[in-house]
Amino acid sequence: MTFGGAQLRATPPHDAEPPKDRVTAAAPAPIAIEGVGKRYVTPSGPVPAVERVSLTVHPREFVSLLGPSGCGKSTVLGMIGELVRPDSGIILIDGEPVTGPNPKKVALVFQDPGLFPWRTALDNVGFGLELLSVASARRREIALGLLGPMGLNGFEAKYPRELSGGMRQRVAIARALALDTPILLMDEPFGALDEQTRFLMGEWLVGVRRRTERTIVFVTHSLHEAIALSDRIVVMTARPGAIKDVIDVPLPYPRALDGPEAVALHAKLWAQVREESLKAVEGQA
Amino acid sequence: MKIWLWRAAMLLAALAVWEAAARMLSTILYVGPSRLPGALGRVLATRDLPPLAGHVWLTLGEIAAAYALAVAGGLWIGFLLGLRKTVGRIYEPLLAALYAVPGVVWYPSLMLFFGLGPASKIAFGVLLGFFPVTLSVLAGIRQVPATLVTVALSMGAKPWTLFCKVMLPAMASTMVGGLRSGLALSVVGVLVGELLGARAGLGYVINYAYGLMMVKL
Repeated sequence: MTFGGAQLRATPPHDAEPPKDRVTAAAPAPIAIEGVGKRYVTPSGPVPAVERVSLTVHPREFVSLLGPSGCGKSTVLGMIGELVRPDSGIILIDGEPVTGPNPKKVALVFQDPGLFPWRTALDNVGFGLELLSVASARRREIALGLLGPMGLNGFEAKYPRELSGGMRQRVAIARALALDTPILLMDEPFGALDEQTRFLMGEWLVGVRRRTERTIVFVTHSLHEAIALSDRIVVMTARPGAIKDVIDVPLPYPRALDGPEAVALHAKLWAQVREESLKAVEGQA
Repeated sequence: MKIWLWRAAMLLAALAVWEAAARMLSTILYVGPSRLPGALGRVLATRDLPPLAGHVWLTLGEIAAAYALAVAGGLWIGFLLGLRKTVGRIYEPLLAALYAVPGVVWYPSLMLFFGLGPASKIAFGVLLGFFPVTLSVLAGIRQVPATLVTVALSMGAKPWTLFCKVMLPAMASTMVGGLRSGLALSVVGVLVGELLGARAGLGYVINYAYGLMMVKL
């Protein structure tokens, strides 16, 4: 109800038209975003960050949000995770309006691993479980079960400063997976890594996804990453961010990025992203 | 083990230099370590002074009280200003301005308010010890990485959990620094208070000996 109120308060008239892809089926979609908008208040006045974004993510789908920097991709993700409250529109998780971070349904991974420097890798992975009052022995068991397949055997007792960048990010992902949520939101999780590590992590994520059957929303500005990982790619416009295009990627995994379909897709995506990036650059100038 | 040897050697060397210097200079103004045990014996035997132990305990008690109050007040004000953004923005400049005033100018007023007894010394120790604690709490809160807070919030952390499991550990090293300098300044406050006007305490004994020009008492 609160979101209905927010919508009435902040939605300009042209936003009021009902979203087209509203889910009415018996099993609600894991994520349904309807006419969502967000503006940030700055000293020089309100800046619209996201406008009229509507998107439905299906069970076990991997959706990438792709767009120029500053286009509000992260804001959309933050709103799905309810770290950012939308000014207008509704976000439904499993058909329920979100009212705050919900660690039983949604886990987040950020570009900065954000590991707690005073906790070992094992205790970092157990953090979310600790907040959910899971017993210590069980936390340990879950954390060990996640770190092993991630190539972190023998690093359980290490502190974040003793780990490489890629390892830290894997620990951060393990921390999110430990919550065992049906939905995983990832905000440029490999953005700070070097290219080789990035590709390896991408391959690894494809494997994780196959094993765990999660619904994943993945923010990236890398075309290759989006093509290699996604079922669908949502291209966003320059600020204020809106959906420019939604592109299906019906290629089997593992994907060869030099195959003809991938190359054609890359060219198509690049034409769209280039246009928006140019707008973003000109907008700043 | 080696480190301990080096420390002992340093200490002995310092004592040796002190002793040599004292012997070469006036024996009235400079007292070498070899004459200290005798001097201490004389202090303990002097009838004019209350027993030294009494002064020591009094001063230690004042320091303990001053530091406890400085820490309590410093943590309270620090967290209040650091966690309530609006309150912080209103009062932080005031705090910085007060900190810039040399503490000792308050002391005459404190003596008038609290008298010549321990209360004015404790008040002065609190005054000096309070600022480093408060400022370290403020600095500590500011340096908690925003990502850690976001991560904890995304996992459903409630304010109190966030405070205990994220903020406090992330601030610990900065706060320990402030708590240490707060202790040092509380000690300074109490002793200076006793030096400037008191009827008992270590500062008083020092001032008493100074009045009689008795370096070794």
